[in-house]
Amino acid sequence: MVIQEQTYRPYGYEIKEKRPFSPCRSACPVNTDVQAYIALISTGRYNEAFEVIRSVNPIASACSYICHHPCEQACRRCSIDEPLAIRHLKRFALEKASGYRRSKRRILKNTQGKNIAIIGSGPSGLTVANDLADLGYGVTIYEKHLALGGMLASAIPPYRLPREALQEDIDDILSKGVKAILNCQVGKDISLNEIIQKNDAVVIAVGLSQSRSLNIPNIDSDGVLLAIPFLTSVVFNRGVKIGKNVLVIGGGNVAIDVARTARRLGSNVEMVCLESAEEMPAWKWEIEEAMEEGIKIRNRWGPNAVIKEDEKVKELEVIKVLSVFDKQGKFNPSFDKNVKDIIQADTIIITIGQMSDNSFAKDSPLKIEGGRFSWDPNTQMTNHPSVFITGEVVTGPGSAIAAVASGHKTAHAVHLFLQGQLKPGLLPNFEKEKIEQIPEEIKGKIKPQSRLKILHLEPAIRCQTFDHFERGYDEESALKEAGRCRGCGGGAIVDSSRCMACLTCKRVCPYGAPIVKAYSEIRPEFCQACGLCVSECPAQAISMVSYDVREIRDNMPVTIGILNPDRKIPVIAGFFCTHHVGVKGFQVPDNIRVIPLSCVSRLDVLDILKAFQCGADKVAILKCPEDSCKYESVNTRFSLRLSRAKKLLQMLSIQPEKIVVLSELEVGELGDNHFFK
Amino acid sequence: MIVGSQKPFDEIWEMIQSFKKILVLGCNTCVAVCHAGGSKEAEILSEMIKVKAKQMSHSIDVNSMSVMRQCENEYLDEFMDNIKSTDLVLSMACGVGVNFLSDKINAVPVYPALNTSFYGGVPKEGLFIELCAGCGNCILHLTGGICPIARCSKSLMNGPCGGTDKGKCEVSKDIDCAWFLIVERMKLLGALEKLYDVQPPRDWSTSFHGGPRKISLEHIKAYEEQQGGQIR
Repeated sequence: MVIQEQTYRPYGYEIKEKRPFSPCRSACPVNTDVQAYIALISTGRYNEAFEVIRSVNPIASACSYICHHPCEQACRRCSIDEPLAIRHLKRFALEKASGYRRSKRRILKNTQGKNIAIIGSGPSGLTVANDLADLGYGVTIYEKHLALGGMLASAIPPYRLPREALQEDIDDILSKGVKAILNCQVGKDISLNEIIQKNDAVVIAVGLSQSRSLNIPNIDSDGVLLAIPFLTSVVFNRGVKIGKNVLVIGGGNVAIDVARTARRLGSNVEMVCLESAEEMPAWKWEIEEAMEEGIKIRNRWGPNAVIKEDEKVKELEVIKVLSVFDKQGKFNPSFDKNVKDIIQADTIIITIGQMSDNSFAKDSPLKIEGGRFSWDPNTQMTNHPSVFITGEVVTGPGSAIAAVASGHKTAHAVHLFLQGQLKPGLLPNFEKEKIEQIPEEIKGKIKPQSRLKILHLEPAIRCQTFDHFERGYDEESALKEAGRCRGCGGGAIVDSSRCMACLTCKRVCPYGAPIVKAYSEIRPEFCQACGLCVSECPAQAISMVSYDVREIRDNMPVTIGILNPDRKIPVIAGFFCTHHVGVKGFQVPDNIRVIPLSCVSRLDVLDILKAFQCGADKVAILKCPEDSCKYESVNTRFSLRLSRAKKLLQMLSIQPEKIVVLSELEVGELGDNHFFK
Repeated sequence: MIVGSQKPFDEIWEMIQSFKKILVLGCNTCVAVCHAGGSKEAEILSEMIKVKAKQMSHSIDVNSMSVMRQCENEYLDEFMDNIKSTDLVLSMACGVGVNFLSDKINAVPVYPALNTSFYGGVPKEGLFIELCAGCGNCILHLTGGICPIARCSKSLMNGPCGGTDKGKCEVSKDIDCAWFLIVERMKLLGALEKLYDVQPPRDWSTSFHGGPRKISLEHIKAYEEQQGGQIR
């Protein structure tokens, strides 16, 4: 069986695969292990967070700006307050890890001795290229534009996606030895037949690059533009001219892109769409941002005719929409032709959807029926055995990350095909069972913590520039926001062969997660991944899915370091809760060896002892005050552990004063505090 | 279950300090439940020994591990190579485990890290109370489910002694008078008159006074005697 290995596996990967996914992960079309990378961010492990993200998403940086983040919509925090700002945290981690990311780039050899051509370099095509290069194939991408990235490069306006971010993704892929032939239109500059002949497999990843037009009178008037050519002209600086009053027809995300782009070119922009405000297919936040920028939206009007003067657009006649969807919920608008209105405009941009441009496949063996390529979703194969097809050209319009998912499937299919093992049922399935919502009975125990605001440039300023409008999190904010994660799916699990059903976990758990019968079982929908039970279990039968509970102890000899026996300044092991201390915890004097924790719930008596055993002279613990700790009961359990640790130290003639518990205030003055000298 | 508590660390150190290679062996059943000798406590103790050894400039190689129960062959067997390759096993089991393991390995000393205390119950987290003395001749049906052997300081069989005082024992105000409890319980059960039956002197031979005890399942014993070997 040929299995495409995931390049990086976060801690607990194998266990997580067998259990229901966290809702964020399940909602992600490529099952990005959101919980894993948020946990890594929360302890300052940004490079590993990058690895988790990048392992399933070759256009991670682009997604960190433009993803519609279904993970956030699925976040279990939604039922408490607001979802975690996952996309933003992703952006933060990727920015932090950029040096590491570049240093990891390596050329990969064509060990398979086979060559694959990919037509189109959008999210799906890039994913196929990435995956097949990882598997040791020679990959060549044919791209009709001057830049790789498909719509990301040629249509998405830079105020939404800075091209440097996209370039990071592309550089990753190109560094593997993937060849790119730019400015090459298949069907014109090279025939598809030639590409098929020259390669062991071909992947069609052309996306939906053509805008649909409208069939209404005078649609061919001067000043009527189509969305994609308009956006592309703007992106590539081709000197597109639009009038002072621009009317955008459409209510989807591309329509918003068009409207906001036109706004940035200095026009007054109005949108007219069939749907009501609630029905508009564009994302709610995109609509809000557009409106902030002064874009007007006329809902429930349908275009009826363009009115021209001297061949130039003058007005658009619109008619009232009665309904957009029929009783079956299908798109089937009905109008009241007697209710009309006239909207003045000197430019009209039609943004009512896209379709594929299939002209490249003319005179090729590929079968096209009703404008669509014939293909098998079980194998991603077209009617020609060595030609595969991926992304929106077959799935229809969707998100970038959904196209990535399709790309993963296709790359896997190509690989199996080239190994002679392709048959239906072998492609990756991203539909995974997820953990239930937070049970009602414990909602009261989850403290509301508002989402850290994402700052945008002032609308009046941002609509004058194509600069990116969203300010990224700084480290302090990122650590705080990451701390809001409830760690769904990353919680406690019991090794039934060690458990003797002593009930300790049940007594300790503030959320009632364990059910103890012959052995303890911890219900994942209840578990908040605080880890209290782990440190209390007398049989050490409980571990955490998402982090290695022994890691702190195992790394301590290195963290605390080889010590100079003649040292004048004491060496201090600092167990710091990163949610509380934030960045300051990473900026301490040399003699404080910081061991970042997501919460002191994870700090065990053993860890404290081990610190002394490894040569620490003192131990400093920094934790949230009771009222701000993200978990319940931590204070009680922590003080019990602390007093036990002090007792044990006394037995070893180590003064209990060698352990100090600090507040945030004191951390600010770490350098001055006598404890550290 | 069997309840134990750890010996004072100084006492443990005295016992073990001359050994070079020590295995701290946890026992993951009864003494784990009372947080005295499970896997976790074994690891804590081994860390303490390491710190102490460093302080004393002793070079001691200390490891810890644990088994489900130290009082049964099958649980021990897979770890015997580990157990035998050490200079000393510091057992975190109750006395049963220490004995059992000592008998099993012979050549390596097995020292107790715990004082085995009693058979007890767990009324709440962190509290363990003695409720049975294992005397081998149960009379709880006569005393309302309260054992005078285990819970009366004098193990009296026919009512309280003169030291009973407002429900407390003369030994300590922290000890309930078992016979006071028995009388109250019998009232509740409507069986107070049962206490008028005088209990004859007890036969203590079923208790430790008859020497170490052994129980064989009759049918297995009979089979083995017939076959002339161990059942398998």
